[in-house]
Amino acid sequence: MQIARHNRHGRLGVDFARGEGDEIIAGTIGRFAADELRPRLREFESARTVSESVRERFAALGFETLDLAEEAGGAGLGLLARVRTNRLLAEADAGAALALDRFAPAIYVIEAFGGVEALKSRQLNLGQSDLRFALVMDPGAGDVAGARVAGQVAWIPAAGADVLVGLGPQGAWLLKQGFAFEPVGGSALHAAGASSVKFDGTPILAWHDPVRAAQALARIRVYYASLIWGVLSDAAGFSRSYALDRVAFGKPIAHHQALAFLIVDMYVAVERLGLLIEDAAVAIDAGEGRAVGAAAAAFVDAIEASRFVGPNGVQILGGHGFMRDFPVEKAMRDCRALGLLAGGCDAAREQAGAALAATISERIAA
Amino acid sequence: MNNFSAALNAYIEQVREWGQREVRRAGLEADRNGAPLPPDHPYFAAYVDFRRRHPVPADDGAVPEGPAVRMAAINEENAYWDRGMGVAAPGPGLPAPIVTAAGTPEQRERFLGPFRGTDIPRWGSFALTEPSGGSDTAAFRTRATRTDRGYLLNGAKCFIGNAARADWVLVQANLDPEKGRAGQRSFFVERGNRGMTGIKIEKKMGLRAYESVSFILEDCEVPHDNILGGERPERTSKSSAYGATMGTLNTTRVGVAASAVGLARSAYDEALNFATQSGAFKSIRVRDRLEVMYRQLRAAWLMTLRAAWKADNRIPNIVDASMAKVFAAETAQDLASAGMEIVGLEAGAGHHLVEKLFRDAKALNIVEGTGQIQRIIMARNLVGLPR
Repeated sequence: MQIARHNRHGRLGVDFARGEGDEIIAGTIGRFAADELRPRLREFESARTVSESVRERFAALGFETLDLAEEAGGAGLGLLARVRTNRLLAEADAGAALALDRFAPAIYVIEAFGGVEALKSRQLNLGQSDLRFALVMDPGAGDVAGARVAGQVAWIPAAGADVLVGLGPQGAWLLKQGFAFEPVGGSALHAAGASSVKFDGTPILAWHDPVRAAQALARIRVYYASLIWGVLSDAAGFSRSYALDRVAFGKPIAHHQALAFLIVDMYVAVERLGLLIEDAAVAIDAGEGRAVGAAAAAFVDAIEASRFVGPNGVQILGGHGFMRDFPVEKAMRDCRALGLLAGGCDAAREQAGAALAATISERIAA
Repeated sequence: MNNFSAALNAYIEQVREWGQREVRRAGLEADRNGAPLPPDHPYFAAYVDFRRRHPVPADDGAVPEGPAVRMAAINEENAYWDRGMGVAAPGPGLPAPIVTAAGTPEQRERFLGPFRGTDIPRWGSFALTEPSGGSDTAAFRTRATRTDRGYLLNGAKCFIGNAARADWVLVQANLDPEKGRAGQRSFFVERGNRGMTGIKIEKKMGLRAYESVSFILEDCEVPHDNILGGERPERTSKSSAYGATMGTLNTTRVGVAASAVGLARSAYDEALNFATQSGAFKSIRVRDRLEVMYRQLRAAWLMTLRAAWKADNRIPNIVDASMAKVFAAETAQDLASAGMEIVGLEAGAGHHLVEKLFRDAKALNIVEGTGQIQRIIMARNLVGLPR
């Protein structure tokens, strides 16, 4: 799907074709994920990070700045390319996918506020390979631009960062100093690390602009939703394969209709989610007015799909699913944890509902 | 295709204008009457005139979208105004692609020719479902026997759309039961055939705008020329009645999905309008419910369009078509039901459109392969569920 756009009737047109470039990226990322991440799933989880060699190999692929605008030093391929990449990485290990993205989704905040140029004047070079960013949601961000910011966040999936970015409904800030990461156990996504964060400092950059804050949050939501998409895609696929191998009552358990239908419904949930995520990414890339609502809706859908696909991925494996010998228990934890980020489900649902309200206003105005 | 083309949008605009002006009103009239509008109702002559002035875009390149996407777009808009009136529309209907694919040149001219350029409403009909079962199409009991004078058909059919008003009904029957599906053929039974008896127009919960007809075939004799594809059809997959029928159903599933999306959109709009005008939209619970409805609607439409797009691009779409069919049909039912809840007692009073949509929607998860059949089809492809 290259472009999906409402026309003046609120109808959309779609081209689901993937270009040659898309296929090349998918092939490269897919091989990397299968060769480098998947086999070391539990190793990275235990180490609470990915190995330096894997990090270097990923950086060498040149996909770090895939979706950043060209003027910001990126490849300018847009969010659609990023969500497809995220999906493939998260199918192998969502925690590793986060660990490999040194910009985290924090860069979307900086980009939305036009802050990439300003980074240079603050001696922050995006090309510096060991420079890492982290994102926290700060409800107070942007209320008073330039003022001191303070607070704490119980968990983020990161072990540390050089730059901390805070995002709230009114704006954002960027701290280079005045924050500290404290390791915590973490519920999931362990390969990315797990920390609580305390911050108390004066931002080197701060912005007040609710519209741009909403735009940044939209990209962040789609970013995390795409990781959930990958996790669920793997959980559904793995449990399906298992159900074909596992025999009970004389036939593969997948051939008992109760399970066959469950597998089908899980497949549909993942497909539905993928369509909504790509639709939202396309809307964001095209700068459409519906983008913020579509992104919030995609994020909510990812969480709802998680509740269905995650536990059922375990269920199909029965007792084995509960054991760490299989990846489905990790998938169940990972997708649940991812849905806690970006402000969580209720905030997204609120925004998706607000977007509907805006649509009504437009109708009335028309 | 970055968007629906201007040409397709222009056609959809005509359908919308027609739907708003005529179709919804006619559908409500039929629903209130509890019976389809009679064949000589002025609506049908007006419909034929509308279609003559605004023919469905042909494969001549004027509309760049492929036929499946085109069909999806048009079906969706039609069903928004009234799904039942869409089925009741004059024309050869579902058998048209089957006759085109598997009929002899003479049959195409004889049975489809009268529908071209006419200003008289005419109908064709397709009889597949039997009282003993609808989904297991390979287990039909209706038999055909060859005689010197023609073929004798014996059996029963039910829930057949437009069969009582059709010029002809294309009846599926088994000529050689020992061959199972391969023995199935289709036969044109023309109006007035005395062997087609016990014609009963069913009373339905919803979709009352079109005839669902049950009838008996009792030594129903048709000429040798009336066997679809001729007595010795060329050996192509399309010449098998079963193959042609199944091929058509695979295509029309996407069309049904699109219709379900149209109906669902209608239910969503009714709920949204009511919630806005009544002030209920200020309630977070109502707004959340509408958000869920909108999201489901959007996903159903995207699934449908993808299945259609794959068909147009000759990409296998069996799973996509079944997925779109089942998901869109369930969406229509969910949204109509949620719409009832938002409209509340006004819906319970039985006068509100959303109440009609609630009754109409259920059929979409039954016709042309129930939701369970679609899941079986998907499971066969996803996990090799044995037949």
